[in-house]
Amino acid sequence: MKFETVIGLEVHVEMATKSKIFCSCSAEFGGEQNDHVCPACCGMPGMLPIVNKKVVDLGMTAGMMLNCHINRTTTFDKKSYYYPDLPAAYQTTQWFAPVAVNGTVEIETANGKKSVRIKQIHMEEDAGKLVHDDWTGTSLVDFNRTSVPLIEIVSQPDLSSAEEVVAYLERLRSLLRFAKVSDCRMEQGSMRCDVNLSVRPEGSDKLGVRTEMKNMNSLSAIVRAIEYETARHIDAIENGTEELVQETRRWDDVKGKSFAMRSKETAGDYRYFPDPNIMPVVIDDAWYDAIKASLPEFPEVKKARYTTELGLGDYDADILTGSRALCDCFEGALAVCGNAKEAANWLISDCMNVLNKKQLTADQLTIDGKALGELIVLVSDGKVGRGNAKKILEAMFEQELSPAKYAEENGFIVSNDTGLIEKTVREAIAADQKAVADFKGGKEKALMALFGKCMKQLKGNCDPQLLRTMLIDEINKA
Amino acid sequence: MEKDTLLLLEKVNQLSLSESERDTVLGFFEKRECDMEKLNAIDTENVERMVHVLPINTVVREDVAKKLFTRDDLQKGAPETMDGFWQVPRVVE
Repeated sequence: MKFETVIGLEVHVEMATKSKIFCSCSAEFGGEQNDHVCPACCGMPGMLPIVNKKVVDLGMTAGMMLNCHINRTTTFDKKSYYYPDLPAAYQTTQWFAPVAVNGTVEIETANGKKSVRIKQIHMEEDAGKLVHDDWTGTSLVDFNRTSVPLIEIVSQPDLSSAEEVVAYLERLRSLLRFAKVSDCRMEQGSMRCDVNLSVRPEGSDKLGVRTEMKNMNSLSAIVRAIEYETARHIDAIENGTEELVQETRRWDDVKGKSFAMRSKETAGDYRYFPDPNIMPVVIDDAWYDAIKASLPEFPEVKKARYTTELGLGDYDADILTGSRALCDCFEGALAVCGNAKEAANWLISDCMNVLNKKQLTADQLTIDGKALGELIVLVSDGKVGRGNAKKILEAMFEQELSPAKYAEENGFIVSNDTGLIEKTVREAIAADQKAVADFKGGKEKALMALFGKCMKQLKGNCDPQLLRTMLIDEINKA
Repeated sequence: MEKDTLLLLEKVNQLSLSESERDTVLGFFEKRECDMEKLNAIDTENVERMVHVLPINTVVREDVAKKLFTRDDLQKGAPETMDGFWQVPRVVE
């Protein structure tokens, strides 16, 4: 019998806010334990939540990026949850009126485009972190992450393989990064997903027994977990190796196996009820329109524009549109220098080199596009040599600066002092008669050796074309 | 409400009721279910969902991070702490 896998995902994404969802504590990752806490996120009695507007902004943004309907009146609910990492004994989340519902995400699969339906996106608070201490036999609680804002993106069970799941997650990550909803760094836990999986005979419209693997935060682990779990389900159905039960399972990537955690709670067990401390969030037209107007161009639309309107190749356009930060910097530079190819080259080779040296990703690019454009103009106008321009670029990664001013202050402006150039050329020729003879004998490389020595002597501050002409003239006189 | 459902709710609420208390709760729910049946009989097809009993909206705050409390202040009333963590009975086997 042939089987098909049915997969739905719940993806948790930490939102890019400075403060938590219901209090003003920092939402920054890390920090000393319990340093980003207050009575509200510690669940102390009598504390009242105040909604962070940016969280609703980003919730709406995510919804619009995923083609969802935005609920113009959205409400928060309490989800009963007895565990010390959420000290109020409930999680404030959305159940009855989530911020966004009924969306779609297009993914590329081996069989062409596929549309994955989004059931809903809801805003909620994250839980804290528990450390289980074997020495004392106790659990230690850090509330820094408690109440850090999340969105949970719930898909319909429209995915049918590990490859489709990866394509879906990569598409979500790209869209959410582009819209600056989240940095979606799986290794830091700012994007993690629960995989709901069942197996059924091919063509059947009845869903099989569903298991859920929680808190997966690596694409490769997700692929392995789906492949293992699919094989386990098929084995159970075909060979009766075990009885499949609806449950939550933990994936152990080292052992390459999933293990039962607990039987799955149903919605009733969580006893959702409207949070009486938070009044409905009403999104008026002005608020809705402002978010709509702030949406970025989709990556594929940008790519098409870069290739057709700006004349970039597919390779360059692909790299640039892989990161919102690269696109922003590129467009800022282009607005100043007017040369798309040159701006793309500086970003793809020179800026990426610096990022690699610093072990940063393209999304962590912080240099100002306008300043990069000014630097490109300085080079194309012959005012700064390319070697010195790279030094200026490296400085731009360390501090905000004006390239022209920095070039002047550091002696990087190309000299127009023909007297100095002539003197340097004569000295170089006098010091290396062999190179002169070689050049006259037809060896082009000999000229480059002399050129390099002169450029070094002039500290790179010389128009290369002028230097070359003066060198050849002087050799011919010699 | 079936007795099994009540037993499940007891479990998730960490409660332990006596048999007579269970009878009281089940009797209460039986009456409420009758009320619900009457409500369910009403046609609400084109009635907008009421999200709150009062016609008011929440206030929102700007996304500004502030440090208003120190860890030491917050842990003054904690029964147990260790290295800056709250310390609680072990929650995993």
